[in-house]
Amino acid sequence: MIAFIVPLAVFFAVFFVLPLALVVLASLFDPVLTGSNYQELFTSPLYLRVLRSTLEISGLSTVATLLIAYPVAYHLYKQPPRRRTLLMTLVLLPFWTSILVKSFAFTVLLGQDGIINNIARALFGQDTALKLLFNRPGVIIGMAHYLLPFMIFAILTSLLAQNRDLRRAAEVMGAGRLKIFRSITLPLSMPGIVAGCLICLVLSLGMFVTPALLGGPKDMMLANLVEMHVRQTLDWGLAAALTVLLIIMTGALSAIISHVRGGGLGSHG
Amino acid sequence: MTETMVRLEAVEKSYGAVHALAPTSLEIARGEFLTLLGPSGSGKTTILNLISGSVAATGGKIWIGGRDVTHLPSNRRELGMVFQNYALMPHMSVFENIGFPLRVRQYSEAEIRKKVHEVLEVIRLEGYANRKPKELSGGQQQRVAIARCLVYNPDLILMDEPLGALDKKLRDQLQLEIRRIHRTLGVTLLYVTHDQSEALVLSDRICLMNSGKVEQIGTPDELYFRPRTVFAADFLGDSNILDVSVVSNGKQAKLTTRSGFQIEGVQTSLSAPVAKVMIRPESLIVAEDGNKEPNTLTGLVEDITLAGGVVDIQVRLDNAETINVRRLTTRDFRATERGRPITLRVQPSDVVVLE
Repeated sequence: MIAFIVPLAVFFAVFFVLPLALVVLASLFDPVLTGSNYQELFTSPLYLRVLRSTLEISGLSTVATLLIAYPVAYHLYKQPPRRRTLLMTLVLLPFWTSILVKSFAFTVLLGQDGIINNIARALFGQDTALKLLFNRPGVIIGMAHYLLPFMIFAILTSLLAQNRDLRRAAEVMGAGRLKIFRSITLPLSMPGIVAGCLICLVLSLGMFVTPALLGGPKDMMLANLVEMHVRQTLDWGLAAALTVLLIIMTGALSAIISHVRGGGLGSHG
Repeated sequence: MTETMVRLEAVEKSYGAVHALAPTSLEIARGEFLTLLGPSGSGKTTILNLISGSVAATGGKIWIGGRDVTHLPSNRRELGMVFQNYALMPHMSVFENIGFPLRVRQYSEAEIRKKVHEVLEVIRLEGYANRKPKELSGGQQQRVAIARCLVYNPDLILMDEPLGALDKKLRDQLQLEIRRIHRTLGVTLLYVTHDQSEALVLSDRICLMNSGKVEQIGTPDELYFRPRTVFAADFLGDSNILDVSVVSNGKQAKLTTRSGFQIEGVQTSLSAPVAKVMIRPESLIVAEDGNKEPNTLTGLVEDITLAGGVVDIQVRLDNAETINVRRLTTRDFRATERGRPITLRVQPSDVVVLE
């Protein structure tokens, strides 16, 4: 038993714990112990603005993802198993493409001469120009597209876990479809919604490629700032402090997720 | 004549070429307790699903409370239903679960509170209004599910193997509870089970199903004492089924078993030369040895088992068929030893000629 664990533990110690410790140290020593990196993080208007837009973008894309994912998950839930498996494969299809490629594809779709704008011009006249690229909507669209499968599967799981006799019972008792959805299906899928949202928040907080390619200067997120300090300003101390902040935020959310998964919210017979 | 609450008229259901239910006609009177009894795949659940509206009939008509509901969706049929797995809403308290059908019907808060507390009293769970279903035992959950039906007074309550998930003791308790509720409230009940003793205990009438058809319908007494077919005789209670040759004068018959014994004076209009007959183990009487009265059978004791209040004796009739005899247990039952000769007597009225 131990013979199997030791190599793994060594691997993690060398390639994960050690670098992480170095990052934490780099954020605290310059070259003597100092809190100046963190002080700058929480006082400079630039960092506060980026922190705010990081939270905003993550929150908005999670909400957008939820609104699109729920009807999809519900539709999948209603399908017979064989058909559902087929449709689930389609949901997973985008996973097989790198996020970098997908983001470039979006620049083609969303640009001034992209498909979306061409259709909009055909429908609403030649003057129509939807600004979907290098701004907030572009980032949200790209991120929601990436996040959708995670949300869909989280919600679908909680829908499939519901006892189907509950719906039948409610129907026999006289409830219509809307009533059944509102008072049974939706509340019982809350654990899936909560888990899906937390997963999407964690994933979107650390997003780098999508805001870099589809966003404008105002849509810079923490990860982009880290990259800038590492490669352009060479201020590794600040980059390290930003990284630590990001890790703490996603770590806290992950802790909530495992609590939710462990039955804190999701327990029902 | 009592009022008809449910009427099925030549209702049938087939899936492609498979007949789940042959055209079936059936009536349930207001206040009646009718049980659909049969093995799995006999069509009993199909009838229930057709009445509840969760599957559509491929032919025939269904009336509930005088309305033709054949094409109405479940939620407009005014039914109540109890499921084997209780189907209580896990996120609602007992109070909210029972209040749910009333909320659907847009009763006022005050009315809901009053009615829910009334039925909680009926099922004897007064102090449990704020509990969640998972905090209750299986028996209590099923009582809540029953209360959820009683509270809005539907035309018909369907129960789909409601005791199937409970252990024996709880099952017996809840059986009595269901019988009490049926008797005191006079609700119309359609009950589905594969357990023949449950059907005998609870029902006003039993509809015995076999491979998608009604095998026999009647009171528990009729089905027990006058089964018409081998299937019915075999499915309800324990039975001895014997092959006999028949000499009949049109009203009464003299039967001869394969082991050569004769039973005279059996009432039957059957005129075929051979038939199958049923004798319940408890209607065979152990007589004194050497008794030469008519309608006696002799044989050797093959096995004897103590089954609690009764003793089961297996007798081999003169090197031919074996027959089971049941007696009340007495302290000296061991006196009947294996291998000993035994004489049995049978009343001709206890011999049922089967179709």
